[in-house]
Amino acid sequence: MRRKAKFRHGCDDLQESATPGRFTRRSLLRDTVFGRPDTASQDLWDRHPPGRTSVIGRVLDVSPHIIVLRTEGSERRLTLSPRTVAWRGTVVPSATLRTGEVVIVRHAPGKDIAERIWAQIGRVTGTIIEAVGRELLVDEGPTRRGRQIVRIEAGSFRQILVRFPRLEAGYLIDVIGLRQQGYLLAYAPATAQPPYRADHSPSAPLLSGHLPASASGTAVWHEPGEEPPDLLGLAYPALDPETGCEHGDAELDASSEPYVVDPHAAGPGCVRLPYLSVGSAVEVRNLCSDRSAVLPVTSCGAAARLFCDRCVECGTSPRGRIADLTMTAFVELGGNLEDGCFNASLAMTGL
Amino acid sequence: MRTFAGKAEMNVGGIAVLAAARDIQVPLLAVLLLGGCVAKLRRAIHARSMAPQTGPTALFPVRLHRPVAIVVYVSELALALGLLATAGRFGAGMPATVIRLLTVVLFGTAMGALHELRNRRPDAGCGCFGDLSDTPVGWRTMTRSALLGAAAVASVGAPPLQKPDSAGQALVVLGLGAGELCVLAVLSPELGEIMVRLGYSEPCEVRRLPIARSLAALRASQPWRQYRDSLVTREPEDVWREGCWRFAVFPGMVAARPVEVVFAIYLKPRHPVVRVGVYDAGGGTGQALPAIPQQRRPAPLSAPVPVTLPLSTQL
Repeated sequence: MRRKAKFRHGCDDLQESATPGRFTRRSLLRDTVFGRPDTASQDLWDRHPPGRTSVIGRVLDVSPHIIVLRTEGSERRLTLSPRTVAWRGTVVPSATLRTGEVVIVRHAPGKDIAERIWAQIGRVTGTIIEAVGRELLVDEGPTRRGRQIVRIEAGSFRQILVRFPRLEAGYLIDVIGLRQQGYLLAYAPATAQPPYRADHSPSAPLLSGHLPASASGTAVWHEPGEEPPDLLGLAYPALDPETGCEHGDAELDASSEPYVVDPHAAGPGCVRLPYLSVGSAVEVRNLCSDRSAVLPVTSCGAAARLFCDRCVECGTSPRGRIADLTMTAFVELGGNLEDGCFNASLAMTGL
Repeated sequence: MRTFAGKAEMNVGGIAVLAAARDIQVPLLAVLLLGGCVAKLRRAIHARSMAPQTGPTALFPVRLHRPVAIVVYVSELALALGLLATAGRFGAGMPATVIRLLTVVLFGTAMGALHELRNRRPDAGCGCFGDLSDTPVGWRTMTRSALLGAAAVASVGAPPLQKPDSAGQALVVLGLGAGELCVLAVLSPELGEIMVRLGYSEPCEVRRLPIARSLAALRASQPWRQYRDSLVTREPEDVWREGCWRFAVFPGMVAARPVEVVFAIYLKPRHPVVRVGVYDAGGGTGQALPAIPQQRRPAPLSAPVPVTLPLSTQL
């Protein structure tokens, strides 16, 4: 299974492009045409905007009252309060976090008081390629991290089986757990398993005229992978097939194996979104926390098109995943990573 | 005596109409079954799979979806061809009766399956006409199934089809056929879906249009002709898309200053609107040039307005 996990596809997106600068300039150039140049489009890519409420880093030290993190090139001290909630597979006391663990912290706006801490959290979303007992080989698709190994924690197996009754090759899986060396130790289902096979996702309803100004559905998150860990952005499910995310037939043929589903060939998914490109800006609103942000499209989220699920964090969302946010963006918008999703709306900006 | 004769005449006329109604059931059932087969085949080709997304196959375990769908499809096709083959004198008698009885069995089974589907999977459509039948099974679908079952029963024992004896009889047959089709149309949720598809125009936000086509349209546009001589290369250094607009960036030189000329091409197959803007890439300022006086705010995407920008106004 480990040997098979090394198999990986390639795709043109932010982290793999030799010239990500051209993506970051697109909003600016677009504004030049439409006659309203401003600095907002440049701020879009600021990884440390004022008012940021999340930190991601490695634990250097932790005591009952203070946690010290090593972030990119600096140290960050955050105060732990009795209200701080820490998660490592399940809710744990903050002081039990270990040195060396990668954590993401949400703190109060303008204050260094940690509200929630997630340690070693990871997520695998994709198609099951092979299943042996509690160990799964999952294909995340050509635009993500390729093959991933998932081991289901023994005590969580029954809970995951309730939401994912078909742990068989060809079916979809989406689980959250602890990132270990070379695999994910799954602790919780992130959604309910779609009843269809990965290559049979339902088609979107037909729409005439123009698409609505905003779309509602589910916003989920993904691990950083090769992206900068503190990147604020989203993997967009409907990148322009002519310029970004899609693959040529030759590449598909080379990787054609049983149960491997190319999400790009799976149709538009069950929600129709306008085609955009890496570098486009969209406004994402968390309908549960009422927080919103204008975020850049940073990569291809075609795998999200395979899921026609709903989020039930606050009411029941319409079917379909409209945004696959970076982990940091998800936390900034008030989402709890262990929940897996929040009800969201998404609107194009700038046009 | 006159009254008796009139009644007898009316009875004869009524019997003739009933006979004509019975006669048309065989071709009507055959056509509907064939229509269902064509719609299912179209769906299967489109989805590259015989396993349907909807319909009574949802009642079976997943591994049986495909075989059950194939059995249903083959049965319907065989019965449709059988009904047509035995409608005339050829095959009359026992073969026709067997085929028609099997059709009764098919529609009877379908009624039971739809009833079960409605109870167990209230969100699923009947799948009778492929992906057109995505509407959840309701009273209309159930009534239609019952009507077709009754038509199949009526067809058992019907004599071989023959040409109408007179124009009047032909009109009666046509009228009855049209009437029955109207009733079936009223009972068919698929009709609404067909109307939507007939009136469907793909939104420009999700329309797929090759880059080459956008660039060809750009090169035929007025803004291109105005800026053509200022461009350093004829190939764009970046192309991307946002909703209904495709953007192409070309390096250029204007008044001895390096600039980037940005064209926005509306994603429309013919005569798209083209907008243009010039970004001052040189000078180290990294700032956009002053706003273009002639350029108006972009019109709503549904009603784009072409804008031509004289080069002299840019700098």
